[in-house]
Amino acid sequence: MTSMNRRNFVATLGIAGTALLAGCNGSEEATQTTDDAQTTDDSAEEASYTLVKEGVLTNVAELGFSPFEYIDEDGNTVGFDVDLSNAIAEKMGLTCEWLPNQAFDTLVPTIKQGGKADISIAGVTITDERLEDVDFSDPYLNSNQALIVAASSDYATEDLDAEDIQIACQTGTTGDAWIQENLPNATRVPLADVTAGMMGVSTGSYQAMVIDLPVAQNMLAQSFSDLTILEEIPTGEQYGIAVSYDNPGLKDAINAALAEIESDGTMDELKQKWFGTTDI
Amino acid sequence: MSAKLRHRAPAIEVPPALPAEEAARIAYANDQGLTSHHFTPGEHPIVRIEHLNKSFDDTLVLKDVNLNVWPGEVVVVLGPSGSGKSTMLRCINLLETPSAGHILIEDDEITNKSSAEVNKLRRDVGMVFQQFNLFPHLTAKENVMIGQTKVLKRSKEEAEAEALKQLAAVGLADRADFKPAQLSGGQQQRVAIARAVAMHPNVLLFDEPTSALDPELVRGVLDVMRDLAENSGMTMIVVTHEMGFARDVADRVVFMEDGVVVEQGLPEKVFDNPENARTAEFLGSIN
Amino acid sequence: MQHRRGALLVALALALTGVFATTLAVPQPAQALTTEKATARPNEDGGDGVIGGLDTRLTWEGTVEPGEEVTSVTLTLPEGSTFDGSTTRITALEGLKRMDVTGEAAPAGESITVSFDQPVPEGSLLRLEITNMQFPSEGGECVVSGTYVSGGETHDLTASKPIETIANTPLQSIVNWLDEQPWVEAWNSNQFLGMFLKPQLLVTSFSSLAPGWILCLGIVVAAYPFAIALGLLFAMLKISKWRILRAVAVIYINVLRGTPLFLQIYIMFFGLPMLNINIDNNILGIIVMAINSSAYLAEIFRAGIQSIPQGQYEAASSLGMNYVQTMFTIILPQTVRRVIPTVTSDFITAFKDTSLLSSVGVMELMMFSKNLTTVSGNITPYVAAGIFYLIVTLPLIKVVSIVEENIARSERGGGPRPKRRADVADNAAAQIAAQSKEVAADVC
Repeated sequence: MTSMNRRNFVATLGIAGTALLAGCNGSEEATQTTDDAQTTDDSAEEASYTLVKEGVLTNVAELGFSPFEYIDEDGNTVGFDVDLSNAIAEKMGLTCEWLPNQAFDTLVPTIKQGGKADISIAGVTITDERLEDVDFSDPYLNSNQALIVAASSDYATEDLDAEDIQIACQTGTTGDAWIQENLPNATRVPLADVTAGMMGVSTGSYQAMVIDLPVAQNMLAQSFSDLTILEEIPTGEQYGIAVSYDNPGLKDAINAALAEIESDGTMDELKQKWFGTTDI
Repeated sequence: MSAKLRHRAPAIEVPPALPAEEAARIAYANDQGLTSHHFTPGEHPIVRIEHLNKSFDDTLVLKDVNLNVWPGEVVVVLGPSGSGKSTMLRCINLLETPSAGHILIEDDEITNKSSAEVNKLRRDVGMVFQQFNLFPHLTAKENVMIGQTKVLKRSKEEAEAEALKQLAAVGLADRADFKPAQLSGGQQQRVAIARAVAMHPNVLLFDEPTSALDPELVRGVLDVMRDLAENSGMTMIVVTHEMGFARDVADRVVFMEDGVVVEQGLPEKVFDNPENARTAEFLGSIN
Repeated sequence: MQHRRGALLVALALALTGVFATTLAVPQPAQALTTEKATARPNEDGGDGVIGGLDTRLTWEGTVEPGEEVTSVTLTLPEGSTFDGSTTRITALEGLKRMDVTGEAAPAGESITVSFDQPVPEGSLLRLEITNMQFPSEGGECVVSGTYVSGGETHDLTASKPIETIANTPLQSIVNWLDEQPWVEAWNSNQFLGMFLKPQLLVTSFSSLAPGWILCLGIVVAAYPFAIALGLLFAMLKISKWRILRAVAVIYINVLRGTPLFLQIYIMFFGLPMLNINIDNNILGIIVMAINSSAYLAEIFRAGIQSIPQGQYEAASSLGMNYVQTMFTIILPQTVRRVIPTVTSDFITAFKDTSLLSSVGVMELMMFSKNLTTVSGNITPYVAAGIFYLIVTLPLIKVVSIVEENIARSERGGGPRPKRRADVADNAAAQIAAQSKEVAADVC
């Protein structure tokens, strides 16, 4: 349990998210015994947190954020965050489950309210505003924003700060805030769904979109070849795992698991798998 | 209404309509003694029905009906239900399309007309329905006015004056602004009569006008019809079960059964001395 | 990375030295740290203004020039601003790559000094995000100035472009007043009440949701006449004698009724621009709602028309009316009365369905509440939206039941009777008629 060889890691991936709510821990020895002596490394915090569902790390996310969390052609929930949460759960001796898709702007309130989900691993940037409502784990990934336009257009970034320009974003994201602050004259169009925004830019309903750079790169490469990244916006923001302030033990346990995942190379494997590089 | 013509009518061969003069001559000869109405040689019947056949799907409900109605004559059609009397009446203003035969109004063949011509014809042939069929969203007065203004293009003032006159004639001047739902069945039927009369039709058809009424309301309606018959000189064809009315008011009584005109003649003759066994049986059962 | 309020004394001391140093040091012409931009996050609920005297976030960015290092930055705002109680997030980037830079922020009134644990290296983009600071409550143009320490020397920062801020609004004053009320605090301490019915948020919600509510109403009110006209057209087509027209109507009605409005919105919003038809979002919203409702109305009208008894057609025909006259003077007026309740219900549905337009960015009620909820992390704006919907729907629901009752009564024949017109009854004609016909029998 403490170290994970490549083979059983792959096995974990294979089973990961076979269904939305499927348990996704592939290793047979990881039964639901959180207070067991199995997980010796971080046993100090073991019993000090509560879970919505015994033995299960329940995760809530907006599932249209590839490559972090999305539903693949077979209907499975997959992505970097999915693999990461599986790895974390495994380190903690838990299985993990994903709640059905929820709008991004409801994730923080859901964790704050408690009772439905334990954590949100959903490409959530750690911001001081969000910290007022929920706690975050240590950052697990650095990210930036991207300004997307149609490849056929000839906009410069300054051209987009005009009233007749409609710029899509996902409601409640840092990109949403970025538009408000940096392109204040443009008409901001906050949407629930990233794909809807890209489609809108593609069809000409909107002139641009601001979304996390890794997502932009992924989706443009996968399905929106007619769009282009006009500007990579260096924000240096960091994704963290949202946890309730009422559950400090859980945050500590997750941080311990994260540290282990960093140190044992699992994190690099995941980055390599999903981004083709460990340098992110 | 006209959308339901898809039944396969059995092809019935009938001779062409008679020329007007010849038909008038024959009718004059035939109808002598059948009606108390006075008509003169050379006069033409206002309604002429020749070899009228009507079938619904495969059921023949009118079989070679022949009948003349003279201007100003009051004809009462009797017969058991299902005898085809209502169907015959509805054919006269083309609410039913005849399957074969001829109906001529003032020597004008109506069975082969375009829908515009049919609408024109209908303004000259008034109809009073068993179920009144007043327009429930209009007041009594507006019910009487609407045909005048929309069809006859009378001015509003003219139509209103006529409406009030006709409502007064049926004793409902004080109900002019009532909606049908606020009137009794008898009152509604009297409004319906006023509505038909206000169009000044040449012929007025009554399709069992009292059958849907409570017994105590029948009399008022019959009184109005009697008044029309006696004082207006209106040509009326009345389908009814009111024997008393038939006996008192009719110039001629026509007895139909099974789609055929079985017997026709003066009321006293048909009532007191029926030639036909079926007529006698029917009248016996009623009386 | 996240540093909550430093000790006040230290802060003051730092600020003072900062100010002192500024006045003495002669700025060098070559800047080691160039201000790139300074922006503030809009904090007007539902709007995009930056209100003074109210918490917001200042974002400042600067570039460290080649050959230089920066060990501390002091940002200064006009008098009346405050950094007290703020938190600071430090980000240093080389290109898109985040560097490990940490530091300590010391807020002191209108200045804040950020000292870095290790010098910010050359060529990096330095971003300071200072949350929960306030601009002067009187508003105005706020320039971010300040100093930085590079190589042990203090230099002036180039001033930023001014940030437009506005004075506190009356609404915000109410909110501030509410903030201070003990009963509000007690109310909000109940988790349910605080989450769903927070008084401060109710106040701001009502004011900031109003435009969305008006837009919802505007869209559905503008759409409905077209929906009625289209619905009537397709109802007539559906009962037409021509098979082709009937087929057209059936396809139109069934496709629209058989697919989710959501889908129709998507197709219209993303489909039309592809055909190079660019229509304003709100107009497009009106069009989608009109077309969608027309299909439902067509069915309602068709059923209404066909519920009119055959006798009405026959009576109209017997007066010589043609089809058009019959329809418009006899059948449709009666249909209208019969369908009013169903049509009103459909209107209510359409009004609520405008919420789906938020999925494509029409700034309607749900969109505003979503935005507010995002900002506040609280459900209250949705509750406020619910109240806005009810303001329209409850009276309409009442109307439906009143009309239904009236129709039921008038069809029973028990409607209120107009005043008896005695003058008419007494006139001569009526009397003659009455005498000659003995109508007394059926006067009821």
